Amino acid sequence: MAKKKRYFIYRILRTIITAFGVTLITFLILHLTPGDPVKIMLGPYATEENVAALRAKYKLDQPLHIQYISWISNVLKGDFGTSIRYDQPVSELIASRAGPTLVLTGSGLLIAVVFGVLLGVMAALKRNSILDYFSTFQAMFWISMPAFWLGILLLYIFGLRLRLVPIGGMLGITSLILPVLTLGLRQEAWFARPMRAEMLEVLNQDYIKTAKAKGLKYGYVIWKHALRNALIPIITMLALRLPWIIGGSVVVEVVFSWGGLGSLLVNSVLARDYPVVQSILLLMAILVVLANLAADLLYAVIDPRIRTEG
Amino acid sequence: MEDKDLSYENVRDEINKLKRSKSSQLSLVWSRFKKNKLALVGFIIVSIVVFIAIFAPVLTPYEPFDTDPFNRLKPPSWEHWVGTDAMGRDVLTRLFYGARIALIIGVLIILFEGAIGILLGIVSGFFGGFVDVIIMWVVDVLRSFPVILLAMAIAGIMGQGIYNVVIALGLVGWTTYARMVRSKILTIKNSDYVEAAYSIGESRFSVVLRYIMPNAIPTAIIMICIMMPTALIASATLSFLGVGVQPPTPSWGSMISAGRDYLIMAPWISTSAGIFIMITVLGFNFIGDGLRDALDPTTKRN
Repeated sequence: MAKKKRYFIYRILRTIITAFGVTLITFLILHLTPGDPVKIMLGPYATEENVAALRAKYKLDQPLHIQYISWISNVLKGDFGTSIRYDQPVSELIASRAGPTLVLTGSGLLIAVVFGVLLGVMAALKRNSILDYFSTFQAMFWISMPAFWLGILLLYIFGLRLRLVPIGGMLGITSLILPVLTLGLRQEAWFARPMRAEMLEVLNQDYIKTAKAKGLKYGYVIWKHALRNALIPIITMLALRLPWIIGGSVVVEVVFSWGGLGSLLVNSVLARDYPVVQSILLLMAILVVLANLAADLLYAVIDPRIRTEG
Repeated sequence: MEDKDLSYENVRDEINKLKRSKSSQLSLVWSRFKKNKLALVGFIIVSIVVFIAIFAPVLTPYEPFDTDPFNRLKPPSWEHWVGTDAMGRDVLTRLFYGARIALIIGVLIILFEGAIGILLGIVSGFFGGFVDVIIMWVVDVLRSFPVILLAMAIAGIMGQGIYNVVIALGLVGWTTYARMVRSKILTIKNSDYVEAAYSIGESRFSVVLRYIMPNAIPTAIIMICIMMPTALIASATLSFLGVGVQPPTPSWGSMISAGRDYLIMAPWISTSAGIFIMITVLGFNFIGDGLRDALDPTTKRN
């Protein structure tokens, strides 16, 4: 057990160091790029006084490390600054927009994992069948489409031509269908292929052969022995795909006028509302860092191979 | 043991023999690649797109920026095979010139991020120690961000344009190369021929240049082919989000975006650009898949 404890402590320390790096990058984006961010924010017609006032307000007239320390200590207290465009605390803006994004991203992730695992397992069990080729081909098809194009295509077919669903906005469960499908279908492809490979490998293991030789029912062997072990790497896959799913959900929000964090982020980038941009990026990256930690710790807890080593 | 000739020349020949057996990897990969039908299809698709990109001015009688106020939003016809857009421009012409923009941006992104990633990967893998720890820390940190969002923020600050798209995506996207090349270097570093090169007194610098680099290059070339779809999709997405290549430049991403307002009246604008992106990316994905299978025979079917 001591070995496992050491691994946990090491992993948590690494997470803290990575999280520190994440705050550095989000802080530095604004400062390392050419041009004066204050002048860009205020536009070409700003007066000298306005520029100086805003610079003082955001402490941009102070040395970089002082700025970082004051920014990070505010963030740790939950104060993300004030939006330039809305003149409202960023934390309030984020809180009001987080719900729709969680619903969209969560459902998309669910669809992706469920479809991906199902297709992957079936493809592995019926290897080289029509189903296997279909699974491979559809995965290739989805990952070759940019998310925004798939979204517009679905919108055109099901919203504008067939008029089955609303074409945008958040009008109940029906307006969730297309965004979630757009997000889920593209991400499913990334789960189906590793799942197939993992399942094939597990099916080749001696303990599966033993279980079959003992005369256990086929379905029982698949369910109780093979699937459970094949699912373990999917946890890591989930954490690995998370940044892409978040990125995809932002694009999908823009296509379907979904009023979540993603469309707030894109509009803030276009409006040069940097405090909002920084805060949303920071939150998303920290979420990914924590998800990676959770996946690694969970993996260590449930994988029997790691357990026996401890 | 004693009767073996351990002169400098002889050992050098032996090392070169070992080296050659390794660098023939690329020709082995190529012979496996040729047998893959989907990869061949991908190769043909990409060749056609490259052909269109190069000969765009010859293939169409129109200019991509020529507006025609009397022929706005015209459906496909003999004069305009894929119709016209909201400013009366010939859509097919813009699609052809769009192939140019897409391929140029894609290649530039890959060259830029590839150069950063491969260099840092070699440094990280070869020198190890503190340098390695720092570089891998930066990789971990950058990989915590959704690529497209960090690139969007950077491009948003730098302003629109082809070069800003390339810089933004390159600064964020190099981590995959660095990781792959680093792990490849670690394998090469521990191989017999590198050890032998040291034993005859070659310097660290010449070992990197003459033994490690040539053997890491096949990995790098294959990485570049595999990364093309990501580069194409990411740059199109930035155009769509409004921070990438902007109109009137005929990029596929901004054509889809612009056609979105005319989906009912003129669906051919968005759909044709979408189909062009999709087929091009599909072509590169077929190639990438073929390369991956050819590179790693254990993942092959059957």
